Amino acid sequence: MAARSGLRASVRTLRTSDSIYCRCTRPFSTTLPSRYPAPSPSDRTKTTHFGFEDGVSEKEKTERVAGVFHSVAESYDRMNDLMSFGWHRIWKGHFVSSLNPGASSSNPPKPQRILDIAGGTGDIAFRMLHNAHVLNSNPDVHVTISDINTSMLSVGKSRSEALPASQQTALSFLPADATALPDTIADSSIDLYTVAFGIRNFSNIPAALREAYRVLKPGGVFACLEFSKVGNPLLNAAYKRWSFSGIPMIGQLVAGDRDSYQYLVESIERFPTQEAFRDMIVDAGFVVGGDGYENLTGGVAAIHKGMKPLKS
Amino acid sequence: MAPHESVRHQAGAGSGPASAVIAAASATAAVVVALTTPTTTRPPPGAFHSAERQILSAAYRHVPEHGFTHKALSLGARDAGYLDISTNVVPEGPFSLIKYHLVSKREALAPRSAEIFNAPVAAAADGATPDTAAGSRGQLLTVPERVERLTWERLLANQHVIHRWQEALAVMAQPSRVPASLHELALLSDEIHHLAGDLAVDPSWYTKRASLSTIYASSELFMTNDRSAGFGDTRAFLRRRLDETGSLAGALGSIGQWVGFTASAGLNVLRSKGARI
Repeated sequence: MAARSGLRASVRTLRTSDSIYCRCTRPFSTTLPSRYPAPSPSDRTKTTHFGFEDGVSEKEKTERVAGVFHSVAESYDRMNDLMSFGWHRIWKGHFVSSLNPGASSSNPPKPQRILDIAGGTGDIAFRMLHNAHVLNSNPDVHVTISDINTSMLSVGKSRSEALPASQQTALSFLPADATALPDTIADSSIDLYTVAFGIRNFSNIPAALREAYRVLKPGGVFACLEFSKVGNPLLNAAYKRWSFSGIPMIGQLVAGDRDSYQYLVESIERFPTQEAFRDMIVDAGFVVGGDGYENLTGGVAAIHKGMKPLKS
Repeated sequence: MAPHESVRHQAGAGSGPASAVIAAASATAAVVVALTTPTTTRPPPGAFHSAERQILSAAYRHVPEHGFTHKALSLGARDAGYLDISTNVVPEGPFSLIKYHLVSKREALAPRSAEIFNAPVAAAADGATPDTAAGSRGQLLTVPERVERLTWERLLANQHVIHRWQEALAVMAQPSRVPASLHELALLSDEIHHLAGDLAVDPSWYTKRASLSTIYASSELFMTNDRSAGFGDTRAFLRRRLDETGSLAGALGSIGQWVGFTASAGLNVLRSKGARI
């Protein structure tokens, strides 16, 4: 925060709000100052990485990821459209329809409890509610949207007000850390655990997978939609070019926040390959079918699914 | 002349009962090994994980009533003690159910072939129904006859789901499913030729498998509309197609022989006229 030019500091003093978020007119070419000091050597007890930056403590990563999403919450959906050319809607639609929540062989249909982790703005949750309530005519499907970040949750809350009343009553919001879910979510109580474009931001992915395993019923499904590795070298070259030059630039122009979007693309780069992440899911005790993952758009994103076995 | 030659050649390559016994025994051994090996976390490609297999085998029982659909999968998951959502562990949904049918019926062909071709004593002891009597003569069959018999056995394995098979074929013909479906078809025709004791490794390896794949696929399509008793029309159809292939291969062989003979004779005529060739 400190080490930026005096000009920028003086611009900031002109702003009425004391918030660091961009709610005001911003000079076209400037970005927000970095909000975080260099990591202090004292709290390096258990380290992870933040983008390409190594040796960041887990606590600090949690805070810094929170900062990123606080700052991008309001422009999040617009930015998703710009960054993926609207294609993220196709991925999310496919993710939800392949999971087919609410489908039941019984009559009346059996209730289902769904936990949507890192689901802040409700993109996945609203689609699942639509799929369950409207397409599968199963009103007994309840979705809990959980996010560590209250800014994202509040965006989701305000967006949920546009939903039909029956779907609003089937929604609840829970601010929680996915690596240590609160006791209000009991062991073996969830049918479906979803996390879309969130798991790479977790400070401790194996711990989050263990938590998922804990809260899922035997037979329950863990499903993850996440950016992944592109197999085709030509597509990969174009994709890397776009993600490392295009996305931070759009982030600066549209959201006024280059650093946050630089972090996003770096975190995508640091995320394990499809096979490695599949093995992490298996290591947490889940069983996977077939390859255990499905590539979308040549591997730009991938869906991983795992099921908690009946007898562990 | 040529067709008989090729038949004899193939029979020679198969070298009669002894090698067929070995081939069938090794195939059976492979199946036994596959079944007894402890399931690791990662199944070999094309096979199914144990949880997947539980759901699929339970769902398969619902296929005659509900078809190769998500409904059947969901009922299967319930029967196997899983949740409705657990069908997600089956990676390709209804297509996995179709693949389960294809793989399990292909794998069942090896024991069935051993039963038909290599158990004359047991069959005779069981009493001579016409079918087992035909089986007891199995060792005398030529390779093309064995191919016909095994293809027929595989077609018969479809009879419980044949009224649902057109739906399955439609799913298999979807562009994203075509490669996997063709791969399974290739594996089937290879399995049939292997079990029939066809050990030839000349270029006809490819043409034989390609023609059998075509014949099998068309017979299967014919069978979906066959209402005759015991699918007799399908078997006649299958025999006609196989005979056509045999006579076509024979005709091509004869043409090749004629072209070769005429060319060398012409060459010799030219040489006799003093041409320096």
